[in-house]
Amino acid sequence: MLLAVIASLTLFVLDSRLNYFSSVRTVLSTVVYPIQTLASMPNDIGHWFTEYFQDRKQLQEKNAALEVTNLLNHIRIQKMQALERENMRLRELLGSSFRLQEHVLVAELLTIDLDPFSQQVLIDKGQRSGVFEGQPVLDATGVMGQVTEVTPFSSRVVLLTNPGHGIPVQVNRNGLRAVATGRGLGGILQLEYLPHNVDVREGDLLVTSGLGGRFPAGYPVGTVISVDFPQGKSFADIAVKPAAKLDSSREVLLVLPTEKQRKMNKPETSSGENMP
Amino acid sequence: MTSTKSANGMGIIIITVMIAMILMMLPLPEQFRLFRPEFVLMVLMYWVMALPRRVSVGFAWVVGVLMDVMMGGALGVTAFSYALVIFMTARFHLQLRQYPVWQQALIILSLVLLIHIIAVIVSPQLASWYMWLPAVTSMILWPINYALLRNIRRSFHVS
Repeated sequence: MLLAVIASLTLFVLDSRLNYFSSVRTVLSTVVYPIQTLASMPNDIGHWFTEYFQDRKQLQEKNAALEVTNLLNHIRIQKMQALERENMRLRELLGSSFRLQEHVLVAELLTIDLDPFSQQVLIDKGQRSGVFEGQPVLDATGVMGQVTEVTPFSSRVVLLTNPGHGIPVQVNRNGLRAVATGRGLGGILQLEYLPHNVDVREGDLLVTSGLGGRFPAGYPVGTVISVDFPQGKSFADIAVKPAAKLDSSREVLLVLPTEKQRKMNKPETSSGENMP
Repeated sequence: MTSTKSANGMGIIIITVMIAMILMMLPLPEQFRLFRPEFVLMVLMYWVMALPRRVSVGFAWVVGVLMDVMMGGALGVTAFSYALVIFMTARFHLQLRQYPVWQQALIILSLVLLIHIIAVIVSPQLASWYMWLPAVTSMILWPINYALLRNIRRSFHVS
């Protein structure tokens, strides 16, 4: 027993303080990966079955719906391109450099449950696909979180709602900067340390500000759902609903950094603190 | 541990523990996720009660490290709590065996609560009022777990 206590303490200290153990952790993660895939199997098989046995009519309906959204997206993209070019021209006039569009890598979630209190997910791409620690993760509707641990075949993503996670954001309406931190269960974020006279309203869209250099700028993070100024407290109480579908997305996008960001990421930034 | 017969018994133990690990990660509907009982701890406790010579604190510790890695918590926390619980169970296994099953279940309740309290002490930002739910479900499921594993033990002659 004493041996186990000492071993646990050493492991704990080495892991959390010295960051010396990440290689051991990677090896162990690779060892448990088969168990994890096994656990996700029933769900995968179910998914496969429903996909395989969908009837013709359903597929046709789905196809029609997808075509409509595709058309809409095309129209939007056309407008986007024009705007992008205009934006670039204007920025050139101002003398600042324009960020090139980020490249992305598509990954799928492993359908397994982890500790519900720490709000993490596993994805099926790892070191082999070039995933790295601190890489931003998005889904179709917004920012989901960032990668905290990479093994050869899988990696662990901390969601925005993890209580130890903070993301630098900006109010889309007026450019106000803030930090949105997770609150654990319930899937709500919180804007921290904003004074009572702050100009944030219900329904405001928050986007990543790109400060800290970890998350690319301009991706939707969430919308403000309630603003409260409690008497006797120094800061406002602002709740944010994440834009990403944190509990139902199956495919996620990993953002590959541009050269400039890669250089910026070299010195550790404090934008997204990873807590256990 | 070297004879073939005991190696066979160990295989059964490892398989049941692995099944429990898979159950810990099996996707559940959102509203049931908080109720997930501590399958791994329950299985370990049964084995240590039945065969304290075969399942040691060290074994529980190794399983705990693997659980830490799988769940992505701080390395060593689950390992420590599993080792602690198994140590206590091994110490009192003779008394525990004598208790009726419902009384054992009450002890499970307190021990599962204990490991969640340890988890909260280590990382306070994860504290939540729902932490006691797994302890209750573990207690409710203990009689089933007990009967099932006893059947497995008897039919495979694990000793």
